[in-house]
Amino acid sequence: MLEEEEEEEVLVEEEEEEEEEEEDSNNKSLDLRSVSEHIGWERRTLQSFVTTAGNECKCPLVTDASFNCGKGDYHLEVGLCLSRASASVLNLNCSLILLPMCRTLLAYLRGSQKVPSRRTRRLLDKSKTFHITCGITICIFSGVHVAAHLMNALNFSVNYSEDFPELNAARYQNEDPRKLLFTTVPGLTGVCMVVVLFLMVTASTYAIRVSNYDIFWYTHNLFFVFYVLLLLHVSGGLLKYQTNLDTHPPGCISLNRAQSQAASTPDYIAEHFHGSLPEGFSKLEDRNQKTFVKICLEEPKFQAHFPQTWIWICGPLCLYCAERLYRCIRSNKPVTIISVIHHPSDVMELRMVKENFKARPGQCPTETKATFGVHFKVVGDWTERFRDLLLPPSGQDSEILPFIQSRNYPKLYIDGPFGSPFEESLNYEVSLCVAGGIGVTPFASILNTLLDDWKPYKLRRLYFIWVCRDIRSFQWFADLLCMLHNKFWQENRPDYVNIQLYLSQTDGIQKIIGENYPTLNCRLFIGRPRWKLLFDEIAKCNRGKTVGVFCCGPSSISKTLHNISNRSNSYGTRFEYNKESFS
Amino acid sequence: MGQIEWAMWANEQALASGLILITGGIVATAGRFTQWYFGAYSIAAGVLICLLEYPRGKRKKGSTMERCGQKYLTAMVKLFGPLTRNYYVRAVLHFLLSVPAGFLLATILGTVCLVIASVIYLLAAIRGEQWTPIEPKPKERPQVGGTIKQPPTNPPPRPPVEVRKKPSVGEEEAGTAGGPQVNPIPVTDEVV
Repeated sequence: MLEEEEEEEVLVEEEEEEEEEEEDSNNKSLDLRSVSEHIGWERRTLQSFVTTAGNECKCPLVTDASFNCGKGDYHLEVGLCLSRASASVLNLNCSLILLPMCRTLLAYLRGSQKVPSRRTRRLLDKSKTFHITCGITICIFSGVHVAAHLMNALNFSVNYSEDFPELNAARYQNEDPRKLLFTTVPGLTGVCMVVVLFLMVTASTYAIRVSNYDIFWYTHNLFFVFYVLLLLHVSGGLLKYQTNLDTHPPGCISLNRAQSQAASTPDYIAEHFHGSLPEGFSKLEDRNQKTFVKICLEEPKFQAHFPQTWIWICGPLCLYCAERLYRCIRSNKPVTIISVIHHPSDVMELRMVKENFKARPGQCPTETKATFGVHFKVVGDWTERFRDLLLPPSGQDSEILPFIQSRNYPKLYIDGPFGSPFEESLNYEVSLCVAGGIGVTPFASILNTLLDDWKPYKLRRLYFIWVCRDIRSFQWFADLLCMLHNKFWQENRPDYVNIQLYLSQTDGIQKIIGENYPTLNCRLFIGRPRWKLLFDEIAKCNRGKTVGVFCCGPSSISKTLHNISNRSNSYGTRFEYNKESFS
Repeated sequence: MGQIEWAMWANEQALASGLILITGGIVATAGRFTQWYFGAYSIAAGVLICLLEYPRGKRKKGSTMERCGQKYLTAMVKLFGPLTRNYYVRAVLHFLLSVPAGFLLATILGTVCLVIASVIYLLAAIRGEQWTPIEPKPKERPQVGGTIKQPPTNPPPRPPVEVRKKPSVGEEEAGTAGGPQVNPIPVTDEVV
């Protein structure tokens, strides 16, 4: 389902990393070598290696040059830095993932005049893809974060430092790391978050969404639990920074203890300590370079970092909660069902009316009529039960059951309208709309709008292609198409709407739509459309123009159309592809 | 929530748990944690679970999306018959496989996820679901010339001999319209 669009940018870049320091215990000689290395997508600019003779292990350390990390004796492991780096990515993605789900806000942006550029509006079409990308990134970096923290837990317990008990997460030497995991607040919330993420992600795969949408919907609502756990996870105060850097700078020598480092960081110190130095510092000439040896004036003090995650998360979370509240209030009033119509091929039409309902074309049938309608195809268990509630099983043969028969309709609430990319079809001079089967419903509202009044819009020519498997499907909107065609003939604009109907499966006997639809019968073709020829014909008739291509149907058609739209043609016509995905 | 097929979700979960177990096992063995042999076990268990769960079962209603390349594993999994068809067996198997991995920190998450998958499989088994392999549809060869039978044996019907003969000279003169136009319906001259 991920589609690469030229405008889409995948935001997986990390932001600046926190620094953390942990003092080392005595009798360890530090030999710091700084190696500059540019790691492309992480934008890290420095990597230094720390060797601790006491532990006899070499641990690489990833730092950021903008923070003066690496000043002095400390006990750093790769796990700590990997976990902090991945936490930064997770912060960013957890905050961004909520934004595409604010559908009312996106619909408002799409319709408002504040977004004049068509390019920006097309970016809004990609909101679902962006959400999925952020989700996958969260999964990957959660994996990295967990693996790094597992190594940290082990190191905390093995390398427990007696000198700085505040810094250590373990309570005593060689504490069982599993106990560390389950009895600390960050550990427990972390495990719960992984479980919630596991449930959400396994239920969000394409196969599950297509077959059992309920599982996806109900598990995805666990995101709220995930966010609460995330806010608790960072409140543990595990990360600390040193508050008295001026009196106890890194790399200083404590006179109480034995000499801890022979040669400290020549490059670092030379870079970062310019100008006058406070008293207590003496110069030493070493290897033809000036090195400064500092003497500690007092013991280091540590304080917990303010949880940065709260700053990242609270904005989008509040926005999303506000939006859900607004949608809840808006959809609180039930709609009044005017009529229920049973169409061939298991499609039901529901006409209803709701007070204070405003919709734009492309969202729902027309602004001028008070009633609006919904077409749905009965495919799964929910739609079957809905149909049985609306029509009694015996009455399903008849076409229309008027309301006066005092049917006991279920109480119906609707949420919306939300924007869709098909609104844009009225803003192109020439549009090509391709519908596959029940995918014609978004275009029905466009056609209804044109039936009312076509002059205010930019659209001057519409190519309407509708591909169906069953010939009776065309009866869903046959009346609308005929009325539209007749209207444009009367107004002497016969080329405004060009209708082509395709019957893709040819084994049926019936070859015409109906006796009373002559205009549609002569526009009916048997077999699948030949897209390349169609595009060439449209390009030839509209040279040099920009044609908007809109597709609502199976993904095979949309992929083909996307490919052909992106190819150049010899007539200078540009095809811009707009797509909405539904699964 | 009427017709949810829980087995499909359990299958996704078990596959994901298998991958988590493999990852945890690799971290444990590579990092040489204490009791790293649990890590090696967890890699093996993860591989077994992935192989077992990779072929997706068939849905009761509607078409099922196959995972790519799953037909080879389907053949293997089908061989075990009721052991793989029954979801009770799978639930118990997953639960037993997950227990040893719980002793090691690196693989503990795999245990938790696999236990959840095992619970969902139990739910699916209680609801009577079963694993049915997705059989490849036999390719329908286009029947070229299937309706062409034997050529006809009888000649086409012809009118009787008398009609086929050319008409006589007398009949010919009376039949053709040689003279002026004779209107079958009387026509009046409408001059206003």
